[in-house]
Amino acid sequence: MATYIINLAILIGINAILAVTLNFILGYAGIFSLAHAIFFGIGAYTAAVAAMKFGADFAAATAAGMLVSGVISLALALPALRVRGEYFVAASLGLQMLALTVFSEWKSVTGGIGGLIGIPPPRLFGFDVSDPVLFLALTLACLGVILIAIRALVRSSFGRSLKAIRDDETAASALGKNVALLKTLAVMVSSSFAAVAGSLFAFFLSFINVESFVLEVSVQVIAMVIIGGTGTLLGPVIGAAIVLLLPALLTYLPYLPPTEIGSIQQMIYGLAMVLLMIFRPSGLWGYGSSQDRKRAAP
Amino acid sequence: MLKSRIAAAIAGALLWVGGAMAQETIRIGANLPMSGPNAELGEIFSRAASIAVNHINADKMLSKKLELVIEDSQATPQGGVVAMNKLVSVAKVPYVLSAYTAVSKAIAPIGDRAKVVSINGGAVGPDLAELGDYFWNVIPLVNFEAEVLIPFVVKEKGLKNIVLIFVDDPLGEAVQKVLRAEVPKAGGTPAGELQVQRSTQQFASIAAKVRELKPDAVYIASFGTQENQIIKQLRDNGITQQLMSYSAMSTPSIATLPEAKGGWYTVQSADFTASALGQRVAKEYKELSGKDANAYVANYYNAVMVFGILAQQLEKAGKPITGANLLEQRRASPTFELVGGKMTFQANGTVAAPVQIREVDGTGAGKLVK
Repeated sequence: MATYIINLAILIGINAILAVTLNFILGYAGIFSLAHAIFFGIGAYTAAVAAMKFGADFAAATAAGMLVSGVISLALALPALRVRGEYFVAASLGLQMLALTVFSEWKSVTGGIGGLIGIPPPRLFGFDVSDPVLFLALTLACLGVILIAIRALVRSSFGRSLKAIRDDETAASALGKNVALLKTLAVMVSSSFAAVAGSLFAFFLSFINVESFVLEVSVQVIAMVIIGGTGTLLGPVIGAAIVLLLPALLTYLPYLPPTEIGSIQQMIYGLAMVLLMIFRPSGLWGYGSSQDRKRAAP
Repeated sequence: MLKSRIAAAIAGALLWVGGAMAQETIRIGANLPMSGPNAELGEIFSRAASIAVNHINADKMLSKKLELVIEDSQATPQGGVVAMNKLVSVAKVPYVLSAYTAVSKAIAPIGDRAKVVSINGGAVGPDLAELGDYFWNVIPLVNFEAEVLIPFVVKEKGLKNIVLIFVDDPLGEAVQKVLRAEVPKAGGTPAGELQVQRSTQQFASIAAKVRELKPDAVYIASFGTQENQIIKQLRDNGITQQLMSYSAMSTPSIATLPEAKGGWYTVQSADFTASALGQRVAKEYKELSGKDANAYVANYYNAVMVFGILAQQLEKAGKPITGANLLEQRRASPTFELVGGKMTFQANGTVAAPVQIREVDGTGAGKLVK
């Protein structure tokens, strides 16, 4: 039982990193991306290749993933400079489709549809961290560092500028903010941190293929952020926990036939989203009303 | 009054615990897609497995009652890993039924570490033969199927020029490799290879290329809706040559497709009428689902029966039923008499099983050709 809970906690941690990093651009900068799973995938593939072909340990493989993801994020940042709102959603969707095709077709690197099998057990500074407890500690440490980094960034002038862009891009620009640069940096930071989740995922599963980085994954991460609360630090973590725990808990209902779990789960998701939008439009961890938000604002 | 209530409660609790202990069971797991677009297949697999569990219990093959614990893989690697961890750590099963290539690849390392056997009865990708000692396949992989069909088509039917339409994934590439080797060996000529992307659904240009190549027969190596669309659009675009494929053609949506009529395909021998066991399975499956049993029913029934036979042998030898002992026992006695005939496990965990060649006749079950 303990191993199951630990493994579930590892996946919650990995998804929480994804949700927190998406929230950085979605909640604080107002950039609505449908391509977050791609940076998750770039991190996973880069780390896997670094470990399999060059014998890199977790730290080196993750650093490589962050670097590659940060550079490729410019492909997403570029349309973000020119379009906003629903137009950016369409642009990010295009990137999601394009990158997914590259994942499927660049067989010498990604293994194509078949994926990469036999990713070696993770090592960190010479120590084997493949034991589930150690790997959970590693995942939580990564999540903790990313949360601290994002908290610091959000509270800095950079974060305040992002929020200004989110609330009114034209006004922020009129006040002398370099909107293009700020958006580019925000997307780069978010994508680099998302690659950490990818690296953890690759080492955890020992196998990755394109099916783990599809559009549905991007949408699921958005759901985590919205359920938890956009623009909050811990909301996405709570959202990730709920989205992953709900199906796991439903399987414990003894009278529920396994064939019905999927449809019941979807109904609960749908109902929860509707109820959230009615009663907690800012998510579970978000502010209850616009008055609360104003009161809490610095 | 209070004391008597407490005594009654304690007695009740003891009875409950005693009852639970008396009902101790042997558990095996099933990591199958029970939700989402693939739930239909998960339902077929789990029903077939349940029939085998009922048979093992009814025939008292094991000292305790066998129980099947089903978890939903959602047909995704992450979902499969969550389900596998639960089966291994919570239900503590020694044996897990698996389906879908990506799920199988994701759960294989967990089974390997925990020494828990995973057995696939649905996916046919050739890379499933390389997932370690604890990953077994009870379904012949696609390369084995293609090796059976080509000599029949080229030598017996005299269709020498073969065009291959294959999906760009390990399955398609495996068939490509087999055809490159087997077609010339049988005396035929590979007339062309046309690759399609996994997401492609429009095949008019592929049909045009087939027309240019003027083959005697076309081998289609795809699956699901795409396989269906390729067949339909080839016929719609005037391709009249013989079509052929592997077991994907036996899925109900293709087996009843008018455009697929006359197509030849290979499938694991699942002649339910050939033995009393097969008739028993087919009858009960029909009663349970209202549908005719197909090869998948045989595979998942067989997967559970393999466990039942191995576990019975272990109990007779006084050994505990663990994944490691199941593996050792399978190596010691690799041949099983199951639905469809005799099945022998190879050293790498794949099976050599009888393969039939059938023709799509529009009824769903198809006509036996060889």
